Amino acid sequence: MNALLTRLGGLVTVLFGISFITFAVTHFAPGDKALAIAQARYPGEMGFDAEILEGIRDEFHLDRPFISQYLHWLVDFLTGDFGRSYSSHSKVWDIFAGNLEETFSLAITALTLGLAAAFLLAGLAVWRKGSLIDRFAILLASVGAAIPSFWLSILLILLFSAHLGWLPAYGTGTLAQLVLPTVTLAFWVMSSQTRLLRSFLLEAYDQPFVETLRLRSVSEREIFFSHVLRHALSPALTMIGLDLAGLIEGAVIVEIIFARSGLGSLLAGSVLARDLPVVVFLVMFFALTYVLINTVIDLVQTFTDPRHLAGERNAV
Amino acid sequence: MSMSLSNPNVKQTIPAMPGTWTLMVFALTLGAGMLMTPYDPTQADFLNRLATPSALHWFGTDHLGRDIATRVLYGSFWSLGLSLGVVSIGAAIGTIVGLVAAQNGRWVDMILMRTTDSFFAFPELISAVTIAGLFGPSTMNLVLALIVVSWMKFARLVRSLAISVVQQDYILQARLNGLPAWRVLWQHNLPNILPGVFVLWTNSWSRTILAISGLSFLGFGVQPPNAEWGAMLLDGKAYLLTAPHIMIFPGLAVLFAVLTINLTGDRWRDRLADNI
Repeated sequence: MNALLTRLGGLVTVLFGISFITFAVTHFAPGDKALAIAQARYPGEMGFDAEILEGIRDEFHLDRPFISQYLHWLVDFLTGDFGRSYSSHSKVWDIFAGNLEETFSLAITALTLGLAAAFLLAGLAVWRKGSLIDRFAILLASVGAAIPSFWLSILLILLFSAHLGWLPAYGTGTLAQLVLPTVTLAFWVMSSQTRLLRSFLLEAYDQPFVETLRLRSVSEREIFFSHVLRHALSPALTMIGLDLAGLIEGAVIVEIIFARSGLGSLLAGSVLARDLPVVVFLVMFFALTYVLINTVIDLVQTFTDPRHLAGERNAV
Repeated sequence: MSMSLSNPNVKQTIPAMPGTWTLMVFALTLGAGMLMTPYDPTQADFLNRLATPSALHWFGTDHLGRDIATRVLYGSFWSLGLSLGVVSIGAAIGTIVGLVAAQNGRWVDMILMRTTDSFFAFPELISAVTIAGLFGPSTMNLVLALIVVSWMKFARLVRSLAISVVQQDYILQARLNGLPAWRVLWQHNLPNILPGVFVLWTNSWSRTILAISGLSFLGFGVQPPNAEWGAMLLDGKAYLLTAPHIMIFPGLAVLFAVLTINLTGDRWRDRLADNI
């Protein structure tokens, strides 16, 4: 119980740390914020009266010291007031919610496809260890980890859009436009998981219980599906969980490359337009998602394996 | 099987593939190529725009008639050199933070590790896009952004290694012999920590190469006309359909560099696991 409380305290500290870092980075970015707001508010105009700028500074509390602005923002954030976009004046939450689905569907589809491929490939590799399939799986995993996803997407566009003309290269909306971004992202999931799954499966095969089952003349098929796979699943789930954060990040980058609407394009656009309320919220969202995923993994591990609670938690 | 997370059979399946030597041959080839190429990486030659690969221009030329092979060679300075600098600075910062956290008492440790955790929560590329974008896309801001997101893994690793080393008997013996704390740290702790740091360092190096080229491709990193591999791909994006050869070689360069470094790192990790 005590260990759980310590951890909870650590979690709260980290959450405050995240909010502080996020706000500080956007606060100390160069450029006059009042001017950025004014330009977003009155598009097309260049020069602004000192009065207008002063009014904006007053409205957004830009004159106050950093700590006061931070606390002001933090209280708003904690009470669910995420502010309004400088440029479109819509609520940040509404903009975010409108873009979430695109990113989410891309990430989930890619995760499902990538994991299915990884399980198949790793299973085949372990089934015929040292064979051509095994070598192919390792090669694919090594190349997949080294191939820049933005370059892979270019190659896919060259082949399937430019050369064969089967699929559209850019945009959002139709199902066909989802294919290339999904494949890019799924390839990344597959290559990062195949290698891990393969070694987890091999490790499971090294356990003494496998020999015992064989002596009891349990069929190889049953050993694999009911025992080895199960044994490998627990470490695999942890790694997949850790990969989720990378998956969201990957989805963001792939979206920017393929000019899809979604959180990634929203982030890039808001950063370039200096739409700070949107930027701050998105960065907070990504960081909090990461913390949430890690906490869930931590808890699952604690409940399934009490050793984790006692030991050092900073395993790398 | 002592290597739980590493691939237990990597030696049988990838026999004596790239290692330290490959890396050195790679570096020498790049250096020699830069000395021998007759072209200037930024000099435009409008008569030879978008030329396909030939004996004169091995990888062809880009939209300004610049020799792509020369630019790929010079690009290694940006992609490999810049990332090497970023990772080394990040590793140094992380190692110091980790050592200080491990050596000092509860409060220092707690504050440093919670800070590390907080920074850790920000996905690398997303924070780099945000920082580089808000502070203005430039090489300097890219480097700063990547350093900010690179040190935490080292801090965690060094701290946990240092804590496990501190509990070893010979450290206790050294302390009982009256050695000052800094000598225990320097002569006994550090040599046991560095191999692990080194493996993480190679791993982070390849990740940073991918990050730099990716961010430059998105326009947040090294700016044209500099011949960074990702920036070259961004340059060529407009000519994707008319001159696809522009897009092939810089990407291959990234792939080859990252693959070589990864495989080298794998071999070092396995050797390390054998020695433990």
